[in-house]
Amino acid sequence: MPLGGVIFITLFIAAFGTFLIFLARWTGGKAKKTSQAKFDVYECGIIGEEKKDTKISVKFYLTAILFILFDIEIIFMYPWASNFKSFIASGVGLYMFASMMIFLVIFIFGLWWEIRSKALEWD
Amino acid sequence: MSSDAFLFWFLALVTVVSGLSVVLMTNPIYSALSLAMTMIGVSALFVTLNAYFLAGVQLIVYAGAVMVLFVMVLMLFDLKHELQAFTRGRITGAIKIASVGILSGLIVGAVTMGLKTATTLTESASAANAAVALKTNPDTTRALAENLFIKNIFGFEALGVLLLVIAVGTVALSRSKGGSHARD
Amino acid sequence: MLSMGNSTFEIAINAVKTILVFFMMVQAVPILVWLERRGSAFIQNRFGPNRVGPLGLIQLLADAVKFLTKEDFAPEAGNRFLFYCAPVFALIPAAIAYMAIPMSVPLVTESYTFLIQGYEVNVGIVFILGISSLAAYTILMAGWGSGSKFSLMGALRASAQIISYELALGLAIVGVILLYGTFNLTEMIHAQAGAFHFSAFGYTITAPWAPNWGIFYQPVGAILFFAAAFAESNRLPFDLAEGEAELVAGFHTEYGGFKMLMFFIGEYGHMMIASGLMVTFYFGGYSIWAATPADVQQWFADTLSVSNQVANILSVIAHFLCYTVKFAIFLWIFIHVRWTLPRFRYDQLMDLGWKTMLPWALANTIITATVIFVTSYFIL
Repeated sequence: MPLGGVIFITLFIAAFGTFLIFLARWTGGKAKKTSQAKFDVYECGIIGEEKKDTKISVKFYLTAILFILFDIEIIFMYPWASNFKSFIASGVGLYMFASMMIFLVIFIFGLWWEIRSKALEWD
Repeated sequence: MSSDAFLFWFLALVTVVSGLSVVLMTNPIYSALSLAMTMIGVSALFVTLNAYFLAGVQLIVYAGAVMVLFVMVLMLFDLKHELQAFTRGRITGAIKIASVGILSGLIVGAVTMGLKTATTLTESASAANAAVALKTNPDTTRALAENLFIKNIFGFEALGVLLLVIAVGTVALSRSKGGSHARD
Repeated sequence: MLSMGNSTFEIAINAVKTILVFFMMVQAVPILVWLERRGSAFIQNRFGPNRVGPLGLIQLLADAVKFLTKEDFAPEAGNRFLFYCAPVFALIPAAIAYMAIPMSVPLVTESYTFLIQGYEVNVGIVFILGISSLAAYTILMAGWGSGSKFSLMGALRASAQIISYELALGLAIVGVILLYGTFNLTEMIHAQAGAFHFSAFGYTITAPWAPNWGIFYQPVGAILFFAAAFAESNRLPFDLAEGEAELVAGFHTEYGGFKMLMFFIGEYGHMMIASGLMVTFYFGGYSIWAATPADVQQWFADTLSVSNQVANILSVIAHFLCYTVKFAIFLWIFIHVRWTLPRFRYDQLMDLGWKTMLPWALANTIITATVIFVTSYFIL
């Protein structure tokens, strides 16, 4: 894997993006403060409130944590999937098939339970 | 210095600097973003060890999932009060001193262990042989699959159950009422 | 192996190649914007931009000038560092991931082999998934750095949506990996080259007139993958993050001028990755209908009676054109769907991701594994 190439182009794009930002700053100029309202955050035409106490539904965190758990389970399927054919060829296909199917049964049970317990319900 | 060695030192520098900034930054958002950068650095270090699949997993799971959750949670709380509580006070001071002690102990331990391993490895030529074996046989994913699904099959299935238990626990916790952040 | 090549020449070629692919992506964005505006006008029975230059093509240049002359604005309430970092970071994941997609057969000269792609990654899919999952940081950085409620809500919605659909996306790809037995994109394309042939129970079925594309083996996976890719790139019908009626413009409410344009480059970059992967996984990549790359080169050498060297160059060009046509078709589908379907409601979006697409992707994985197992394990 050409790690050097990846790092090189990352640094190049970062430099290019920074250059664009500075170019736009140079050609467009800094925003002139003609009024305070111009520099306030957007708030549908009324006087802006400061964001002090933003409370966010716990659903978002729940979704994120469930995503991590399912993501880990899916990641485990990758090495299995990429070697499944070669394992069949070397004669341990049944074993591999059964071991992943047991894992998938647990996965499906987990998903079924999440849906049934209304953890994924948005209203 | 060969290009591989240069790459290693560059990545090590990036990883260590971003790891340090996790601790030294006062703004928790910057800390979390630095931790994400550390994960990316670790993933690149995996690539230098020919563990391509693990590098990808490190990116997908740690940098792409776990740290996104961290950043998301940190951004959506007003952290001024929490910040005050964690940076002032006597107990915090004691914890700071204790952490510095543990950290210095770890560094000293790591350096002594590292020196020992380095000498044994250079004496035998096993390191060079292992490197050659890695270069000629880059298919580490198959070895990983054999370890995971044949040798440690019980641990693998138990992990599935463990993940299920975590999912159930998360849902139960999110249902519980009360606490300082309760809505109603 | 870790570095970029063995000689200075090779390193220079590889560096220039990555920069070239990056600029190809960047300059494709104005063309896509023009196509999107003309296309929407065509769909909605309007004219669209048609005044500046022939067919309005110079409109893009005018837009760029307009973007450059906008004054540089950052809200006072936000975090200036993250506010300026986010658009720069928006460019990176899309471009790095796209470079791993092969666009043509390698160009072979006497001493070098030039791959027509940014770089060859031997765990291509895992690399692309890992890098493009970093795009969530861009959105969160922009949303928080703006210091505006609308931006924060938009960022929250967008990141929750992206991570929800990443599951269906990742699981749809498992079917593809099972089918080809590799993570490598070039090997996948090789597996799809040539005429349709399929072995089951020890027999082999062939059809010389049909291509051996993945879509015939993974139709459900292809649909799931494409739908999830729409959600990943925040396009309609999944553009809840920037639902104008609710959130003004989502996470880029406070952005304008060139910074806004950089977010657009990132978004179109994700569209290009999705189209490129769709072509690579399910439509044979750069391979030409029912022909292997060797066939094509042989055909050029025979019919035009040229040397192998010239035939190789012609074959590279032909395969690149083939890839570009397939790629453009998928980009057009992205644009067409945007102007055809209405936006989802948030709960419908989450329901579709978790309760519909995830179970279907699971079923697809299980059925694919079972079919592969049964057909290759039992020989009649």
